[in-house]
Amino acid sequence: MDDGGDSRRDLAAGLDSKEYCLSDRDIVEVVRTEYVYTRPPPWSDTLPTIHVITPTYSRPVQKAELTRLANTLLHVPNLHWILVEDSQRRTPLITRLLRDTGLNYTHLNVETPRNYKLRGDMRDPRIPRGTMQRNLALRWLRETFNKNNSQPGIVYFADDDNTYSLELFEEMRSTRKGSVWPVAFVGGLRYESPKVNAAGKVYGWKTVFDPHRPFAIDMAGFAVNLRLILQRSQAYFKLRGVKGGYQESSLLRELVTLNDLEPKAANCTKILVWHTRTEKPVLVNEGKKGFTDPNVEI
Amino acid sequence: MPKRRDILAIVLIVLPWTLLITVWHQSTIAPLLAVHKDDGGDSRRDLAAGLDSKEYCLSDRDIVEVVRTEYVYTRPPPWSDTLPTIHVITPTYSRPVQKAELTRLANTLLHVPNLHWILVEDSQRRTPLITRLLRDTGLNYTHLNVETPRNYKLRGDMRDPRIPRGTMQRNLALRWLRETFNKNNSQPGIVYFADDDNTYSLELFEEMRSTRKGSVWPVAFVGGLRYESPKVNAAGKVYGWKTVFDPHRPFAIDMAGFAVNLRLILQRSQAYFKLRGVKGGYQESSLLRELVTLNDLEPKAANCTK
Repeated sequence: MDDGGDSRRDLAAGLDSKEYCLSDRDIVEVVRTEYVYTRPPPWSDTLPTIHVITPTYSRPVQKAELTRLANTLLHVPNLHWILVEDSQRRTPLITRLLRDTGLNYTHLNVETPRNYKLRGDMRDPRIPRGTMQRNLALRWLRETFNKNNSQPGIVYFADDDNTYSLELFEEMRSTRKGSVWPVAFVGGLRYESPKVNAAGKVYGWKTVFDPHRPFAIDMAGFAVNLRLILQRSQAYFKLRGVKGGYQESSLLRELVTLNDLEPKAANCTKILVWHTRTEKPVLVNEGKKGFTDPNVEI
Repeated sequence: MPKRRDILAIVLIVLPWTLLITVWHQSTIAPLLAVHKDDGGDSRRDLAAGLDSKEYCLSDRDIVEVVRTEYVYTRPPPWSDTLPTIHVITPTYSRPVQKAELTRLANTLLHVPNLHWILVEDSQRRTPLITRLLRDTGLNYTHLNVETPRNYKLRGDMRDPRIPRGTMQRNLALRWLRETFNKNNSQPGIVYFADDDNTYSLELFEEMRSTRKGSVWPVAFVGGLRYESPKVNAAGKVYGWKTVFDPHRPFAIDMAGFAVNLRLILQRSQAYFKLRGVKGGYQESSLLRELVTLNDLEPKAANCTK
């Protein structure tokens, strides 16, 4: 319907119109609606915001990982992506990537200190990867949102190399305190899962590796209501002295009890998130001097 | 001469129907308009605020056309009559990460308008997992399968190593296209081979949509390099391949680095990926040499710099 002729024909064909009387003239208003596909979906006033915290670090596959993660996040309404770089400064690559996605985002950075006693480039191995970055995001949330503020929100930690179904985000949106669900490819299993009893309560953890951890769950397997994060403002991931596999517990024990947990994904019977790992690309043919143009961003 | 009784009867029958039809007409059209605008008040305010409008004189009436843009999100995007269809051919096989890989690939494809996903399983039968997954995405898809023969001389479970993985599946998709679309059919389409474990930007699909014969672009993490790329001269023509591994292949390019116009696929109906006796890295050439020449190639991604 590009030309006036069409609309006149439409009118003749009986298109409904509203008529207004303005002095002696009748103004007939014809409304034509153009639908424009948007990405991300339009913001809704009624949905709680999901704050997705993603630590990231520079390596060859970084841009690819963030590109495909963004492609998933772009389907989720009311999503706020908090991307935290492990770097001294916010890099141009990430700045451009975030801007080009169109997502609602916050771009932060904090560098994990390097352990100078080892090779100069080695980050302190006593600090699990991503910890300082996740903690910075928690601090940012606490500085940005008022504890008494009623803006409902959910906090989720999403690493940049995992795979997320769209259904997962809708499951976590109804989190009142803390919610949990199974995660594939962790703990040396096809999946680890919370144990849920007939009353719909979490009573344990179906894992082989240390099932007696307070929260034997992977980072990708839980979400917390923003209100709890704001109220328990001293709750952070423990930085040092954390046994392998206890990172998640170090935060969750300060926020919720087992009884508080809401099992999602059909009472923890469905897999909606996979702890996929990306293999390191083979770059042997670059040689010492480099074959490809280093100015071409990968 | 009709009796008064008869006239009364006719009126009593016709009148309710007339009323009913009038009311029905209004009630079906009104909600459609209501979806478009929230209430008459808003549009009046918009008009007063100087919203762009065209005016027509129709006898003593002014017809004001108000164009409202409504931003909607649908998954996938609404089909467009003007965009060429991109037929994405993905071979897939069962292994633990299969569902994860296809889930995140689907999440990407769901943003691309006029996309048709041809998923070909390497299996004896179409599996329930894939059937369910495809249906649940909402994508426009075709679900095929063909099993690569197992090499019985080796371990019973080993597929014939002389047939590169995915070849029979891609060929089946080509055959399906040729059986489904008429050579003289003018439905514009592009054919792209997308493996289920790669990463695709949304920009890529828009780049390939304008393919007239064959188009090419760089691919990251192949050939032992950060990326391999076609070499493009100042005239915008492809004249070679920037690779370390065998740059003298007819088409030294990865499966993910090219797209072909559907018309060519339909016209050269005997062009397939060579099944056996193909040297490593020559799979792509085995098909492309039957479809295009180097001169035909259109470089995309900012003349192969992105």
